Amino acid sequence: MTKIKWLFISSIIVLLLAMPLLAACPAEETTTPATTAPPPKTTAPPPVQKTLSIGGCFALTGAYAEDMAAVLAGFEDYAAYVNETHKLAPWRTETFPEDITVEVLWRDDELNVEKVLSIYEELKDKGLLVERTSGSPQALALMNLLDEDRIGATSSAVGPYLLSPPKTIFIQYPVYTDATAAIADWFLDNWEETRAPRVAYLTADNAMGKSVVIPEMDTYLESIGFEVVGTQYVPLVPTSPPTTQLLWLKENKVDLALGVMINPGAQPTVKEMVRLDMGPNLGYKITFGTASPGHLWILAKAMGELGNGYVCAGSYNPPEDLTVPGVKFCSDLQDSYRSDRVTHIMYQHGVVEAMIQVEALRLAMLKVPIDELAPVDVLEYGFYMIKNLETGGITSTPLSFGPGDVIGMDEVLVQQVQGGEAVALGTWPLHNIYKQE
Amino acid sequence: MGLPSGTFNQGYAQDMAIFRTRTQWVMLFAFLILLFACPLFFGDRILTVLTIIGISIISVHGLNILTGYCNQISMGHAGFMAVGAYTSALLTAKLDFSFWAALPCAALAAGIVGIIFGLPSLRVKGFYLIMATVAAHFIIIWVILQLYGVTGGADGMAVPRPEIGGFVFKSKASYFYLVMAIACLGTFFAKNIVRTRAGRAFIAIRDNELAAEVMGVNLWTYKLQAFFIGCVYAGVAGSLLVHYVAFATTDQFPFMNSVWYLGMLIVGGMGSTMGVIFGAVSLKLLDELVTVVGPILAAAVSPQAASSLGLIMRGLVILLFLIFEPRGLAHRWQMVKSYYRLWPFSH
Repeated sequence: MTKIKWLFISSIIVLLLAMPLLAACPAEETTTPATTAPPPKTTAPPPVQKTLSIGGCFALTGAYAEDMAAVLAGFEDYAAYVNETHKLAPWRTETFPEDITVEVLWRDDELNVEKVLSIYEELKDKGLLVERTSGSPQALALMNLLDEDRIGATSSAVGPYLLSPPKTIFIQYPVYTDATAAIADWFLDNWEETRAPRVAYLTADNAMGKSVVIPEMDTYLESIGFEVVGTQYVPLVPTSPPTTQLLWLKENKVDLALGVMINPGAQPTVKEMVRLDMGPNLGYKITFGTASPGHLWILAKAMGELGNGYVCAGSYNPPEDLTVPGVKFCSDLQDSYRSDRVTHIMYQHGVVEAMIQVEALRLAMLKVPIDELAPVDVLEYGFYMIKNLETGGITSTPLSFGPGDVIGMDEVLVQQVQGGEAVALGTWPLHNIYKQE
Repeated sequence: MGLPSGTFNQGYAQDMAIFRTRTQWVMLFAFLILLFACPLFFGDRILTVLTIIGISIISVHGLNILTGYCNQISMGHAGFMAVGAYTSALLTAKLDFSFWAALPCAALAAGIVGIIFGLPSLRVKGFYLIMATVAAHFIIIWVILQLYGVTGGADGMAVPRPEIGGFVFKSKASYFYLVMAIACLGTFFAKNIVRTRAGRAFIAIRDNELAAEVMGVNLWTYKLQAFFIGCVYAGVAGSLLVHYVAFATTDQFPFMNSVWYLGMLIVGGMGSTMGVIFGAVSLKLLDELVTVVGPILAAAVSPQAASSLGLIMRGLVILLFLIFEPRGLAHRWQMVKSYYRLWPFSH
C-alpha cells in the first residue's frame, strides 16, 4: 500500500514540476514551423498584417465606471477608424501604415492598486507598448514603474504628482491645480468689489480632490489677491447632501469655492447649494468651480437651470456642438462604428487619448521598424516627439509633449452653466503652480 | 493533529510536531522547492500576482490571529497596514534608514497603533468593536493626509526599494523571493503563536469570554496582545507593499481592502493557518480570472455590463461559502486529508 501512496505522491510532484515547464514553452513554437512549408509558386505572398495594441487600465468598476466606459468606447471607435481608413483624423494628412492593425487591449482595474500592478505586467507581457491609467490611485501606483520600464502612458487622472519629477505619463488636460487656478483668474477678472475676495476649497475627499489643497495653491491664490479661508471635503460620491460643508462656506463668507469633483459629487453639491439659496444669482452670492472631471456639459444636461453659475475648467465641448471639428469627428465615429450611441462627454477624452497613443506609435515607427519596436522607442521617438497634435478643438489647444513636459497644453478652457446651457468663457493660461522637484 | 492510519505519537516531541511524518516533510520541501523555483518558470506577470498574494497572506495571518483566533473582528486592517507602510516609507525615504531596520520599526509602529485602537475591545465587542475598528481606519488615513509636510498628503511619497549589500530588490523575481521568505516565516510564526500560552488564551477568549476569564485568562492583556500581533503582521505587509510599488499613498489602503481581507478569512477558514493561505490564494486568483474574463464577456455584452464583475464574483463567493461551507476551504482540505489518512479503509 505504501508503494501505491508513494507512486501517487511522485506522480503529483512530477505533474506539478511539468506544469511550469509546459507553461514556460512559448505558444508560437508549437504552431507554425518556420522552415518546413515551401513558398507559394504562383504569386507573391500577401503582406503580413501586423498588430499594434493601444489601451491599458480602465476602471470600469467604481466611481469612474461611467466615465471609463465612455473612454473605452472612444478608444475602440478610434481604433476601428484607423484600421478602416488608415487615416489619423479628417483634418490630418499623415496616414497610418496599411499593413498594421490597431487593437485595443484593456482590463478593468477596479480602482484597486494591487490589481493594477498585475494588470500592468500582464499587458506588458502581451506586448502593449503604451499604457494608460484611469484614476489617481493607479497613476500613483504605476508612475514609478512606468518610468523605470521607460513606458509612455496616457491618463485620465491629472494630479500634480505627475510633475514631481515629470515622468512618463502624458496628459491632455491640465493638472487640477492649474485648472482651478484658471477659474480663480476668471473670477478675479470679473470681481467688482473693492475688498479681497474670499476663497475656500470645496473638494472631493480622495487623492484627486485633495491634490489641489497644497501650499503652492494657497500661495498663488494669495498672490493674485484672494484671501484663503480654508477647506471643506465632500465624499467623492456623497451619500447625503453636503449641508454642513456648504453652511461652513456661508458662515465664513466665502465668495469662491474651488475643488476637484466628479459629477456624482458636483451635482448633489450644486443642488444643495441652490436649496440653501447659495449661488452667483441667489441670495448668498457664491461661485462654485471645479476642475475637469466635474464635466460641465454633463452637469448642465442633468440639472438644467438649477446648475446655473457652476464653472468648470478643462472640460470638453458639448457633444451637440458639431461646429467643432473634433466633436463632429466623434459624432461621425459613433455613426460609423457604434450601434448604441455613447452620450457621455468622456467619449471625446477616449478618442483623444487613443489619438495620442496611436500618434506615439506612428512616430516611433518612423524611426524603428515595427518588429523591433520597444516601449522605450515609443516613449522617446513617439511621445516625446508629439508636437502640436491637432485634436480638432477637443482639447483647449493642440498637444505638445517632450522630456519634462507631460502636460499637453499651455491654456485651459473655462466654461459656465448659463441658462441651463454650457457656455465657453474663454481660455486662461496655465501657471504651473505645482513646484516640480 | 490527525495522523495517517497506523501512525501514533509516542512522546511529547512527536505530539507537538507540526510536520510529523516523513511524507509531510517531503511534501513541505517539495512545496518550498516549487515555490522558490517559480521565478525560473514564470514571467513578471505571474510573479507580480504571487508577490501580491504573498503580501496578502502576511496581512491576513495577522487578521486571522486577531479575528479567527481571538474573535476580535477588525475592519481597520488596511488602516493598520498603512501605519506600517508609512512608518517604513518615512524611515527609508526621509531618515535614510535601511529597509531592514525600517521593517521591524514598521511592524512595531503598527502594533502600537493596534494596541491603541484595541483599547475599546475591553469595553465593546461584536458589532460595536467592528465600528470602532472602522473608525480606526478612517482616523489613521485622515492623520496621514493631514501630515502633508511629512507624508506628502494625498500626493504620496516616493519610497526606495529594499537593498542589501549593494543588491537592490528591484526585479520582480528578487522581490518575490523577499516577500515569499517573509510570508513563509510569517506562516511559521503564526502557526506557532497559536500553540503558545497566548494562543490558547486567544482561543479561550474566542470560544467564551466569560469562561476564559473565570479560568484566569486576563482579557485585558490577551486581547491587546492579539491586537498587537495582528497589527504587527499588517505593518509588515504594508511596508512590503509600498516598497514594492516604490511609492506610498493612502489610496493603496482603501477601506474595502479590509473587507476583502475578512472575505479571505471566510473563504479560507477562520482560525486556521492553512485557511489564510487558501483564502488569499483563491480570492486573488479569482480576481485575476475576472480581470481576464471581463474583456471576453464585454465582447459579447458591453464593457459596462461586464464591469463590476470582480465585486460581484467576490461577493458571491463569500456568500456561497457563508451558506454552504462556513468553515472555509481549510475544512474541506481537512476532509480530504482525513479521507486520505484512513485510506484504504472506508471509515
